[in-house]
Parts: sequence; C-alpha cells; structure tokens
Amino acid sequence: MANYVIRRLLMIIPIIFGILFLTFLIKALIPTDAVSALFSGTVSEDKAAEAIAQIREKYHLDLPWYRQFGIYVWDVMHLDLGESVRTRQPVIDEIGFRYVNTLILAFSALIVAIVVGLVTGMLSAYFKNTWIDVTSMSVGMMGISMPAFFLGFVLIFIFSVQLRWLPVIGRGDFQSLILPALTLGFIEAAALSRVTRSSMLDVLSREYIRTARAKGMSESYILFRHALPNAFLSILTMIGLQIGNLLGGAFIIEVIFGWHGIGELAVKAIQWRDFTITQAVILVSAGTYVFVNLIVDLLYTWVDPRISYEE
Amino acid sequence: MTDMILEEQQTFGKPTGSNFARAMRRLLRHRSGQVGGGVVLVLVFCALAGESILPYDPLSIDPINRLKPPSAEHFFGTDELGRDLFSRILYGSRYTLMIGLVSTVIAATFGITMGLLAGGGGKWADMLIMRVVDVLLAFPYILLLLAVVAILGPSLWTAMIAVGVGGMPGYARLIRGEVLAQKDAEYVEAMRALGASHLRILFGTILPNVLPQMVIYASFTIPLAILAAAALSFLGLGAQPPIPEWGAMLVDARTFLRTAWWVVAAPGMAIFVSILGMNLFGNALRDVLDPKEMSK
Amino acid sequence: MKLQKLTQMGLASAVALFVASGANAETLRFRLGEDPESLYNVETNSLTANTVIASYLLERLVYFDKNGDAKPWLAESWELNEAQTEITFKLRNGITFHDGEPFNADAVVYHFNTILAPESASPHLASMGPLTSIEALDDLTVKFTFSEPYAPFFNELAGATGGFNSPKAVEAAGSGYGRAPVGTGPYMIDQWIPGTEIKFVRNDNYHEQFRGDAVNKGAPHAEEILLSVISEDGVAQAALEAGELSASMLLSDTIAQFMDHPDFNTVIDETATNLMFLEFNHQKAPFDDVNMRKAIGYAIDRESALAAAWDGFGTAALGPLALGIPGFDGEVAAKYGTPYDPEKAKAILDDLGWVDSDGDGIRDKDGKPAEFLIKGYAGYAHSSRTLQVIQANLAQIGINVTLETADWGAFYPSLLDDGWDMDLMRWTARDAGILGELFRSPGHRQKLPANAPLDDLLTRCNSTVDPAARNECVSEAQRMLLENVTIVPIMSNWTVIATQGNVKDYTIDRMGYLIPGDVRIED
Repeated sequence: MANYVIRRLLMIIPIIFGILFLTFLIKALIPTDAVSALFSGTVSEDKAAEAIAQIREKYHLDLPWYRQFGIYVWDVMHLDLGESVRTRQPVIDEIGFRYVNTLILAFSALIVAIVVGLVTGMLSAYFKNTWIDVTSMSVGMMGISMPAFFLGFVLIFIFSVQLRWLPVIGRGDFQSLILPALTLGFIEAAALSRVTRSSMLDVLSREYIRTARAKGMSESYILFRHALPNAFLSILTMIGLQIGNLLGGAFIIEVIFGWHGIGELAVKAIQWRDFTITQAVILVSAGTYVFVNLIVDLLYTWVDPRISYEE
Repeated sequence: MTDMILEEQQTFGKPTGSNFARAMRRLLRHRSGQVGGGVVLVLVFCALAGESILPYDPLSIDPINRLKPPSAEHFFGTDELGRDLFSRILYGSRYTLMIGLVSTVIAATFGITMGLLAGGGGKWADMLIMRVVDVLLAFPYILLLLAVVAILGPSLWTAMIAVGVGGMPGYARLIRGEVLAQKDAEYVEAMRALGASHLRILFGTILPNVLPQMVIYASFTIPLAILAAAALSFLGLGAQPPIPEWGAMLVDARTFLRTAWWVVAAPGMAIFVSILGMNLFGNALRDVLDPKEMSK
Repeated sequence: MKLQKLTQMGLASAVALFVASGANAETLRFRLGEDPESLYNVETNSLTANTVIASYLLERLVYFDKNGDAKPWLAESWELNEAQTEITFKLRNGITFHDGEPFNADAVVYHFNTILAPESASPHLASMGPLTSIEALDDLTVKFTFSEPYAPFFNELAGATGGFNSPKAVEAAGSGYGRAPVGTGPYMIDQWIPGTEIKFVRNDNYHEQFRGDAVNKGAPHAEEILLSVISEDGVAQAALEAGELSASMLLSDTIAQFMDHPDFNTVIDETATNLMFLEFNHQKAPFDDVNMRKAIGYAIDRESALAAAWDGFGTAALGPLALGIPGFDGEVAAKYGTPYDPEKAKAILDDLGWVDSDGDGIRDKDGKPAEFLIKGYAGYAHSSRTLQVIQANLAQIGINVTLETADWGAFYPSLLDDGWDMDLMRWTARDAGILGELFRSPGHRQKLPANAPLDDLLTRCNSTVDPAARNECVSEAQRMLLENVTIVPIMSNWTVIATQGNVKDYTIDRMGYLIPGDVRIED
C-alpha cells in the first residue's frame, strides 16, 4: 500500500511537468503574445515600442519558448508564480480567493449532483423501461440538455427577478451560492444519474439479488443494502473524472452568477493572452485534478480491496 | 464531461453481431428508445431534407420585420435581423448535427488509435501514451478548446477540431481498458495462433469487438460536443455568422430574453429537445446492447 | 510571492466577501462591464479603468463643458506663450489628496514625469506627443514645454490620464498602487475584490467641486458607491429589475425593457464619440483602388444596419470622425460621403470591369470572383449583426463576403497580417487627433500607402492649437479621407443607461464620465 501511494505520488511529477510543457508549447503556437494584446487598445503601438520591449523583457517573452519554460519551471520550484502581465499584481493575489471560491462551488455542486443523480438514477433503474424511467432520466439529464448560460438566465429570471428569493449579483455569500451550485449540480448530476442507473441495473440483474428476492427480502433492503454500496464506487469514480470539469468547466456559470472562480479567470486570462495567469490556473487546476484522483484511487482500494494496486 | 461514462461502459461485456436484429427489436420496444429515437430521426430528417422544406431563406435578412412574435406567417417568429426562425432552426439542424458528429469522429479516430496502441503496443508505448492522456485529462478542458481556437483561428471547423481534441483522451482511456481486458480472450488467442500480426489483431480483431461500446459512448459524447461548441460560441469563437448553428443563435439572442422571448426560446428548445432525445436514445442503446439483456 | 500564502490569502478574501455584502441605503450601486486591470492611470489603458478613475477618484486641471470647451477645474487659469509651445497653469490653493497630502505643482510634475519615464512603460507615453518637460515654477504654478505646438494635449489633461495621484502614496505602495489609488476626487477607494466589486466611500474632507457643470458643489450625496463587475448584459438587466443596481449602462437590446417603464428612468447620450467603420487592406487588390472602395461605401445601408444592430439607438455616419468629437464636420460628411445608393455602387463596379460573366450572381473580373473576407470583433452581438447586414448589402451588388470574427486579442493583432480584405472596426476617442493616430500612413494597422498631403495635413491639425483654425484643419482632413475613401464610416452608437426611478441627476459629462457628486437617491 505505502509503496503504491509513493508510486502514485511520484507519477504526479511527470504529469505536472507534461502539463507545463504543453502549456508552453501552446503559448509558442498562439500568434499573439500578452504584450501585443495589452497594447492593442492603444492606437500608437509603434510609439510605445520602447514600453512594449520593456514589458516583453520583464516577462521573458523575448526568449524562445523552451527557455521561457525552463525559467518558469525554475520559478515554480521556488514557489514563485510571477506577476500578471495585465494587472501587474502578483498572480497569487489574483488566483488565491478565486481558487477558494471554485472549491466552495465545486463542493456544493457535488452535493447537489449526488442527491439528484442518485435519486433519478435509482428511480430510473428500478422502474426500467417505463415512463418513470423516461421522466426521471429526463430530470437527471436536464442540466446537460441545454447550454449552461441558458439554464442560468432562466433560473435568474425565475428566482431573482420574478420571485425575488435570491440575489442577481453574486457577492460570495451563501445566498449567491445557491443558484450556481444548483446549475452546476444539475449539470454534474447527469453523469451520476446515468452511472447510478447502469450500475444499479448491473447489480439488480446479478444472481445474489435474484436469490435475495426469491428468499423474500424486502425491496428496500435489497436496494439500500446491495445496490447502493455498489453505486458508491461509481460516485467515487465520477468525482475523480469530473473534478476537472468542476474546476475549470464552470466558467459560464461563474460569469452568469457572478461567482468569481478560476474558470472565469482562466478564460479571461487566455483572451487577454495574460500567460502568467493562464499558466498558474492550469497549474493549480491540473494539480487539484491529479491530487483528487489520487485520493479517489486510494479510497477505491480502501472501499474495495479486491481492486489491485496495479495501474 | 466526456469521460464520465467510461467506467460504466466497462461494467458489461460484449454483444455479438448476430444479435443485431434482436437489439433493434428491443430498441423499438424501449420507452427511452421510442422517445429518443423519434427525436433523433426528426433531427436527421431535418438535416438531410435540404432547403426545399424551408418556408423562407434562412439567411436573408429583413431588418424592417425584425423581432416579430410567432404567427401563422412565421411559426417561431423572426430574429433580430428579421430572419424566419422556423427556417433557421430547420436549416441549423445540419450544423448542430455536423458539430456533434465531426468532432466525435475526430475524437474517436485519434482516441481509438491512441488507446489501441497503448493497450497493445507494449509497456513503453502504454506508459508514454497514457501519460499524454493523463496530461490532456488534467489540462482544463475549456482552456484546451480555447488554445486550439487561438492557434488555428476561429471557424466552425476549428470549433469541431477543438472539441474533437478535447474528447480524444476519453476514447483513448476507454479503448485501452477494453484492449487490456480482451487481450487474452479466446478469440484473440486463436488469431494469434493462426499467425496474425500484432497490428492486425489490434485493428482487425479487437477493434470490431469493442465497436458497440464505442457506439454507446459516442451517443453520449455527441450531445456533449454540441454543448461544448455552444460554450465556444458564448465566447464568440464558435460557428461564424451568419451560420444558423443553434448554439451560436442562442448566444446571439440571449440579450432578448425579456423583450423578445421567442428569439431565445427557438434555439433553446431545439437544443434542449435534441440533446435530451440523444441522451435518452443513448440510454436505450446501452440497455439493449447489454449482454445480460441479450441473453434473456 | 510564495505558494504557501495561497490558502491564507484565499481564506482572507472569502471572509472579506461575506463582510462586503453589508451595504446601506445611502449606497449607489453601479455596474462595471469588466474588472479594471488597475486604477493607476499611468499604467492603465482600458475604457473601463479610465472611466472609474476619472469619474470617482482623480481630478484634472481642466474639464470640457457641454460645448467641448476646456474649462478650469483644479487649475485656476492658464496661458500659452506666443509660439504655443509652453502652457503655464496656475493651480488652486488648499486642495488635498485623500491621504491629506497637499495637491501642488510638485504633484503635477511628478505625475507627468512618471508617464514620460521610460521605465514606467506607460501606454500613455505616446499620447504625450512632443511634451519635453514639466517644471514647477512655484508651489502653485506649473509649466509644460513642448518641442512643437500640440493640440490634443488638452484632451489628455481632461481625460483619465490627466488625473493626479498623491506622489507619496504612489511611492509608498510601489507596484500595489494600482489597487489602492489616492486622488483628490469626491470618492475614495475603500475595498477592491478583484473581479468582483470595488467599493468607494465619500471623501468627507472634499474641498469643493470646482467644475462649473456640476450641480452639487459640496461633498457628494451618497455615502458609498459600489461597483459590481457584471459582464453579461442580461444579468445587469435582471439586477436592475430586482433593484440591486441603481443604474447601469446597457446595450440597446436590453434597454428596451426600461423605456417608458414607470419605475425606471433612461439616460440617453447622443453625443457619441465612437465610430464603427469598414476598413480596407489598401495593400491588396482590388481595395488598393479608390473606386472599388467607393463602390463598397455606396453599397452599405447604414439605416438598416443601425435599425438591426442597435435598434435605432445611434446615428448613421458618413464622415470619418464621430459626431461627438470637436471638429466633426457634418457638411463635409454630407458632401463627400458615400450614402446608400446600390445603383451607383453597381455602376462603379461595372466600370471597373467587375461583371457577372458566368451568371452565378457573383461578379468577377479576369476570371476571379468578387469574394472577400471581412474580419470583425466577436465581443458583442452588435458588431456581428452589423457585419451580417453589410454581408447582405454587398450580396445585393454581387459581392460575396465571408465573415470571420474573433476575440480582440486575436482580431486586432491579426490585422497586421495580410490575409484579409476588409475589417469592421470601432473606435472611441475624444479628440480629432484620433484621425492622425489611425490614418496617418502607414496607419494603425500598417496598411495605408504613403499619402504626403494627407499625412502633412494630419500632422498640422495636431500642431494647430487655436480651436477655430484647428477645426478648419480637421474639416479638411475629413474631406481628404472621404475623397480617398480611406474608410467607410457606418455609425456611431449612443450611450444608453437605465436608472431606478428614484435616482436623480445622473449626468454624464462631455468626456463620457459620470459626475458622481450630483447623483442622489430621492426618497
């Protein structure tokens, strides 16, 4: 076990390295750099040539990409994420609280997703091939059946403008969290709903369930004693796979509901070509992804020791 | 989003080709199959029917008649440039379907190749390819998409390529798992004994056997690809004007939610119904291709 | 900055977020379309940052009144020397910065010297033009010296760039100053949560509002101003309806909700200083030919574009200068412009040899069909709608165009490449100097061939300080630009703002900045 954990931990290094490598490769391939994007609001770029050259030098943008990569890896190893090209503030100031916001949103959405996903998935499996199946699956799938901004606008209209229950402008408090968490939760619930449904169907068709039924065990006993624990593994797997999505994929939800997280920052940063921010967001979310997956895998082996430690 | 179905697919075994007719019959009896299949059929019909069924030219603008509510003349009303929304929705179905299919084909082609090589190409190939897959999975999805668009320049094709690249690692992981599971299956052993080459076994023997899984997986990634393209449109980087791609239409219309609801409702409902239909159809596919069902 | 601080900082910010929500009734809540990159006017560049800086925080030597004339603000008076290369300002006495430091000649000198210093890498360095030195003659007298007369300078003085920061605060805060600006304005920064909101509190030691156009001469009415970052127009609309915003600038699509609504007022500013126009790649055939460009000009139905894209909230433009910029000449525009006349456009194309020889509806010449690429900015739907109207207009005269829109960071720099024929550009400026910046060869995108008479004229306009003489020069420049069809002007859109019904005296000045001290909430 310890051996496995150490091996998994060591594997994080090449992945993070690979991600940074890919980041710099992309940076080299994108035609505009941060400074030309920054100065493209001023008309007289030529007159600002000196200023532009100076900023390029400061952020090493005048070096070939692999040297920039080397410098960045060196800086990151010294726990230095640099300064935003756009705001000239330390990257850590830009990203820190947004990362916390993102984690809060991800965690709340996960809870919503688990509740909605389990209920709809179980109903749908239990009443397989009936209208209940179709209806509960439709509810479970609702979040991914329309673009997030559409769902978001509709929810704001209903709950904030018509009913006035919840604020429109996100202010970081609990009330502002409800709508984005519901929206993101319903989006994530779709995956869980489907996974729950099929793993339940899988379990329900097994020999020992049939035996249990034949023995006259109650349906609820069968469901909660046998089927649900099995679905738990699926939830774990889903969390591992979805975490990337919860971290960076929620940018539209963050924009619409004013819940300012790293997804929104990432998208803006790449539009501004502010690569110090982009790199940091990628680093942080990829790191979280890898870390959460490690935990999930460990939990997995702990829940079900039959699963081998082999890759 | 595209990779959540992975584990699920791996929980059941392989149907065989002879069961195709039986699977089709089951599909027709399946409630989700009926609803979802119906939606998918309508969608495919609209996409293939061509311009002859359109009451108006979906691209010709008429600023005087902008934002007219639904009427007998314009079933879904007119949009902000006076175009008939009903025609645009019908005509747009082909782009929406194309985005789903093309990006899925891109993702599947590269993903399956990567997965086959990882699963059957020896320890080092596996190590290398799977690390690349890990990197792509850990890389924030939307940034991967934006990066591809920033490099290639925005267009409908770029959007499809970007979404395809984003979907690649999911396919690679899924197929690798399948290959590892089937490597030592009897039919593979038999081919090996007959002296078939390694590549031939991978692409000629194992691949056809995992195709049903791929089809089910694809039935869920196609709608996700459509949504991903809509997210790109949200940033102005999806289908280019005046293409009536539903996601782009919805994005352009979103400021009219309060003043001209039909401009938002038409593409919004079209996307909602189609994607829900595709997902229900996917569910039905999964059920009828399930070997335990097949053996009943 | 070290990684270990990450969690600490995050938690602190999370706590701050909860605290920030307690705003009282004396609070004006406005919308910000995006988070400003910084509020230090030496290093910022964006319209958003400039508007925030200039409206609330910093005051300038002069302001422009409704007629576009410069009037004294922090300056008492000024005079020019004979050669118009020296401007000497007399400053008002007794003005203090938010931190209690005196506003004096040294603060003025410090500010402009910082912009001129190359190590500041200020984006405003270029707009200082031939400014060579600033000196303090005494505590309240400051002299600006130029190597040649420079007319656009008053615009810089009156704009956000000309606002003064407390030198002591700038020095003390270092690179963090952009988040903690200290000026002399009616409001002081209280808190800034990046990407989320900026809170200002009333400057209770406010000297006196010296602007002649302000109604309220004393300290501002509202205790606090809260600016929330809301990038989506639909969200701002919902926030107004729900009473969470006091006022918001909106797009024409969303303003409709508030027009003639009993609970809301609308403020519409028609003195637009922006211009949307079609540009050409002058280095590439066939748009190196003035007649070809003229044909495009006649083909554009500006009224339709205006109706479709902006719901009529704008003014069709025939001249190359926005109507709100001093020097705009409507007569020249009407006389030399290219109003919508598709028949004329077709006739020109026929003469040029662009005819539809194969009957496919698209003209061709020497076997090459008339198919071109128009690039545009993907940031908002209005630009894309205008493009689609242009596309339809050009289809009418037998020209087929493809549209390609991208985000600004990709679109604008890509115009330096050669792979385009036309682009839809939109620019906001407050001084006619914009003509020189955009169209003096080689032009802002390096595609304009040398044009000595025009180049000289544009230079002369900038060095003509006398307003009447300058306007004459600018008129001449507009005429030449139109004769050359350097660009095809399309429209200027108006600024539209919706406010709650009880919000009074929400006034936008000539520069487009709010006069915040006047705004009050009526009980």
